Amino acid sequence: MGSVFVAQALNALFGIAALAIVALGLAVTLGLLGVLNLAHGEVVMIGAYCAYVVQAQGLPYVAAIPLAIAVCAVLGWTVERWLVRPLYQRPFDTLIVTWGLSLLLRKCAEAMFGLGYKSLNEPVSGTLEVLGATYPRYRLLLVLVAVVVLTALVFWYRTSRTGTRIQAMVGNPELASAMGIPVSRYASATFVAGTCLAGLAGVLIAPLVPVQPFMGLDHILMSFFVLVVGGLGSVAGLVTGSTVIGGANSVVSALSDSTGGYFCVLALAILFLWLKPRGLHAR
Amino acid sequence: MRVSRGAVRAALAIVALAALPFAIGDFWAYQLGLFYLYAIAALGVGVCWGRTGFLPLGQGLFFGLAAYGSGLALIAFDGSPWLLVLVPLAAIVPGLLAFALGLLVFRRRGESGPYFSMITLALSLLAYQLANNWESVTGGFNGLKGIPGLPGLDSYTAAYDVAATALAGSALMVAWLYRAPLGVLWSALALNERRVVLFGFDTNRLKAVAFGVSGLLAGIGGALYAPQQGLVTPQLCGFALSADLVIWAAVGGRARLLGPALGAIAIGVLASELRDRFPYWEIALAIVFILVVLFFPEGLAGMFTPIARRFRRPVPSPAPIAAPARPEVAQPSRLEIDGVDVKVGEVTILDRLTLALDRSAIHCVIGPNGAGKTSTFNVLTGELPVQAGAVRFDGYALERLPAHRIARLGIGRKFQIPSVFPQLAIADHLAIALWSARARPLELLKPSLRRWSTPLLDALRERYPFLRHDARPAAALSHGERQILELAMALLGEPRLLLLDEPCAGLSPQETAAVIDVIRWASARRRATIVVIEHDMALVRHLAEHVFVLHNGRLLAEGSVAAIQADPAVQAIYVGAEK
Amino acid sequence: MTTAPRLAFERLVGGYGEADVVRDVSGAVAPGEVLCVIGRNGVGKSTLLKMLFGLLGCRAGRVSFEGRALDGLDATARRALGISYCPQERLVFDDLTVRDNLTLMRPARSVDAFAPYFERFPVLGRRLAQLAGTLSGGEKKMLSFVRGLSERQPLALLDEPSEGVQWENIVHMAELLDAARGDGRAFVVVEQNLAFAERIADRYLVIEQGRVALAGRRDEVDRDRLLAHLQV
Repeated sequence: MGSVFVAQALNALFGIAALAIVALGLAVTLGLLGVLNLAHGEVVMIGAYCAYVVQAQGLPYVAAIPLAIAVCAVLGWTVERWLVRPLYQRPFDTLIVTWGLSLLLRKCAEAMFGLGYKSLNEPVSGTLEVLGATYPRYRLLLVLVAVVVLTALVFWYRTSRTGTRIQAMVGNPELASAMGIPVSRYASATFVAGTCLAGLAGVLIAPLVPVQPFMGLDHILMSFFVLVVGGLGSVAGLVTGSTVIGGANSVVSALSDSTGGYFCVLALAILFLWLKPRGLHAR
Repeated sequence: MRVSRGAVRAALAIVALAALPFAIGDFWAYQLGLFYLYAIAALGVGVCWGRTGFLPLGQGLFFGLAAYGSGLALIAFDGSPWLLVLVPLAAIVPGLLAFALGLLVFRRRGESGPYFSMITLALSLLAYQLANNWESVTGGFNGLKGIPGLPGLDSYTAAYDVAATALAGSALMVAWLYRAPLGVLWSALALNERRVVLFGFDTNRLKAVAFGVSGLLAGIGGALYAPQQGLVTPQLCGFALSADLVIWAAVGGRARLLGPALGAIAIGVLASELRDRFPYWEIALAIVFILVVLFFPEGLAGMFTPIARRFRRPVPSPAPIAAPARPEVAQPSRLEIDGVDVKVGEVTILDRLTLALDRSAIHCVIGPNGAGKTSTFNVLTGELPVQAGAVRFDGYALERLPAHRIARLGIGRKFQIPSVFPQLAIADHLAIALWSARARPLELLKPSLRRWSTPLLDALRERYPFLRHDARPAAALSHGERQILELAMALLGEPRLLLLDEPCAGLSPQETAAVIDVIRWASARRRATIVVIEHDMALVRHLAEHVFVLHNGRLLAEGSVAAIQADPAVQAIYVGAEK
Repeated sequence: MTTAPRLAFERLVGGYGEADVVRDVSGAVAPGEVLCVIGRNGVGKSTLLKMLFGLLGCRAGRVSFEGRALDGLDATARRALGISYCPQERLVFDDLTVRDNLTLMRPARSVDAFAPYFERFPVLGRRLAQLAGTLSGGEKKMLSFVRGLSERQPLALLDEPSEGVQWENIVHMAELLDAARGDGRAFVVVEQNLAFAERIADRYLVIEQGRVALAGRRDEVDRDRLLAHLQV
C-alpha cells in the first residue's frame, strides 16, 4: 500500500511542478510588468514545437533548449517593443492585442506543422525506484529541473544588482527612472525573460503531452488561474497556486473525469475572485 | 410625422435584405443565411466589447447551447406546437445564463476585465468538452444529426427569410437599446466606470445585462442554426467560433451598431471562399485583426461613413419632457463621522476622525498634504473601506453600503481633475446626471428619457450657454468648460450633500469667479450642504461659512474663517514647528 | 549673480492635463547656493520641481542647466547630466531594504561611504536590513535625503525633505546641506517649514497661485512677508 501512496504523492508533485514551470513565464510578465500576455500558452507551444523539430532532426534533446530560448527571445523582444510597450497604460488593449497574437501564432503553427498531434519520445526513458514505488524518470527529471529553475531565479532576483533594480522598477517606476534605471530596457528584458521561461517550459512538457497548435489554450487558462489563486508577485504564490489548482484538478479528475476536474478548477477560480481577489499571497 | 434619418436607413436596409435572394439566387441566399445567424451572435460581441468595454472570449458557449437545445427540441417534438415555445426558449435560456454569469463575475470592486475574459474562455472550452463527452444527449463528437427544419419552412428561400428576419429584428433591438438610457450608460461606463457608479448606477448589474443581451443574441443565432443546418457539432461551443465572432466584430467595426454584423457576413463569406484556395488566409486574417485593433478601431463600417457623421449623434427631438421632481426635504442633511480609522497597508490615513455637519451651508476643508481630505471624501462616497468607526448620513450607516447606493442616498461628488466621458455628447452627460436621481431601473429602457429636463437644467444652460451645444463631445471642451460640465452634472443630481474637490483647479480668475457664483447660487436655491476641499485661501475666504482643518488624519480645528486664521495651532502646521 | 547659474528657469508654464498649475515662474540658482521655494500647498511647488526634473513637460518657458537647454530631455537624461531628485511622495522603494535603497545605483552593496551620514542619522545605520516600506514617514524622508545627497551631483532638487522629521534631525539636514554647499553643489529645496528654510536658504522664491509672489536673497527678504505667504 505504501508504494501506491508514494506513487500518488510523486504524481501530485509532478503535477504541481508542471503547472508551476508553465505558469512561471506568465508570473513574470503579469506579476512584474502587469501585462496579461494571452499568447503565453502559444509561446509554450512554440517551445514544444522546437523540441519536436530537434527530435525530428535526430539531434540530442538538450539542443531544444537553446533553440527554444533563442526563438522565444526574439519573439518576446519583438512583441514587447511593438505590441506591448505602446499599450502599457491600456491593459485592456494589451489583452486584445495579445489575444490576436495568440491567434496568429496558432495559425502559423498550423501552417507549418499541420493540425495533427505530434508525439515526442521521452529523452530519458525508463523508471526509477523511489521509496518503494517506481516512477518514470523523465517526470522526476522535470520536477528536478523545475525546482532548480525556480530556486535559481528567485535567488538571482533577490541577490543580484539587476534583480534588485528590477524590483525597484516594478515597485516605483517613476522613482526608478528618476534614479537612472533604464526602465524601458529593463521592462523589455523582463518580458523576454517571461517568454523564454515559457519556451523552456514547452520544451520540458513536450514529451508528455500531445503537441498540437491548440495546446496553448489550456496552459494560459491554467497559468492564469494558478496566479489568481496564489497571488501575483511571489514564488510562494506561484507554488501555492499550483498546489491548489493542481491538487483540485487531480483529485476531481480521478473521481469523475477530466471535464469534472476542469469545472472544479473554474469554480475555484470564481470563488477566489469573490473572496480573495488578490490571491492567497497578495503582494 | 417627421421620419428620422435613422428610420429611413433602416427601412432601406430591410428592403435590401429582402430583395437579395432575387439578385444572387436561392442557393447562395441560403448559404448567406448561415452568416446572418453568425452576424446576430457577432452583434452580441459588439454590445459587450464595442459598447460596454469588456471582451467575451467564449460566445460559442451560448451559441452552441442554444443550437443543441433547439436541435433536441426539434427532434423530440417534431411537428408539435410545443416548438413555438421551445425554440424561443432555446434562445432565451443562454441569455439568462449569461446574465447570471455576469452577476457572478462582475463583483470585484476594481478591474474585472481580464478575469471575465479568461472565465468566458474557460467556460467555452468546458462546454466543448461536455458536448464531446455527453454522447447520450449531444451525440458526442459526431454531433446531433438529422435535425428537421422549422415546421412549414422547407425551401431555401424560407430559410433565408427566417435568418434575414431574425437579423433585422436583432439589429433593431440592439439599435433600440443603444438609443435608450441603458445604451448611453453602457458607453459611459466603458469610458469612466467610477463616475457612473458615483451617479448611483450599479455598474456590475449593467455589465451583466449587456452580457445577458449578448447571450440572448448568440442564443437566437444558435437556435436558428440547428434547423437551418440540420446538424449541431461540439465545434460550435468551442474556441473556434468564439474566436471568429471576436475577429468579425473587430474587423467589421465593433463600436458601430452594424459593424459586427457586417464583419461576420463579409469575412465569413470571404473565408469560406478563400480558406481552401489561399493557404495563408487564416494567418492573414490574424494579422488584419491585430492591425485593426491597433490602428483602425472603426473597422470596415468606419470606411463607409464619412468622418463628419461620427460626431452627429441622434439629436433628441426638440420637445423636452419634464423629469419627475426630487422630493424636497425640509431639514438640512446631517452627516456624522465618528471615530473613523482608515489604514492602507502600514499607513494610517485617517486616525479616529470625528466631525459633524448639520447645517445647509458651504463648508470648506483645508489642511496640509496628506491630511486626509480626499480620503475623507472617498470614505463618504463609499470607495474607501473603514477599519473602525461609523459614518452616518441622515440616519443611514454608510460604512457598509456600496458606492452606488450611497450616491442614491443623495451624496454627490465632483473630482479635482474633471471626470467626464470624453467621447459622449454634452447632452448625454446632463441626461445621465438627471437619470441618476430619478430613473427607475425599467425606465432605463425608454429612449424618451433622453429628453428629460428640469428647471435647474434650464437655469444652468442660461448661465453657461455652451451647455446648449448638445451634440459636442466632452473631449472637444476646454479644461474650464469641462470643470463646469462636471459641476453642472453634480448639481443636476440635486444631491443633499455635495462634495467638491478643488472645483477651481486650473481655472482662470474669471472662470473661478463664475464657479464660486454657481456654488453660492446652488447652495441658496437648493439648501444643499456643500463641502469643498480647497487649498487656495482666497477662495476659502470667499466661499466658506464654516471651515474644518484636518491634519494627520484628524480634525485639528473648526470654525469660521476668522477663527481659523487666529488659531495658532492651525498656523503652526502650515509654517512648520521648531520642536 | 556674479557666477554663471547652475540652473536657470524662465517663465515656466505647465501643469497636469490641460490645467496650468505653474503659471509664470522664473528663477536661478548658482553653484554653492540653496534656493528655497516657499508657499502653501497647492500653489505649484512640487509641480515646479517636476518640471525642472523633466517628469512633467513645460507648456512654455525654458530650463537650462549650466547654460545648456534641457528641452526635450527626460528625467533619466537629466539625471545623467548631473541632477538628482528627491520626490515628496513615493519617495523610497518600499519593497527594498534600507541598504538597497541607498546602494541601488552604486556598483557594490557596501555602505562604507555612508558612515558620515549614519553618524548623524543613526537610525538608518541600525535598520539597514529593514524594508523601507515599514519605516515611519520621517525616517523615509531621512533615507531619501541621504540617498539624494550621497549621489553628490552638481544639482539636487529636494521636495519637502523635512516633512514629518523631528527637529534634531532637521538640524542635521541643514548641517549636511551646508557641507555640500561648501563643495560647490547647488540645491533647490521646496519647503513649508520656515525655521528650516531660514537656516539653509541663500535665496527665496515665494510662489502663490502658480506665480512668483516674492523673490530675493536672504538678506533682502523680510520674515514677516514670508510668514504672510505661508499662513492661512
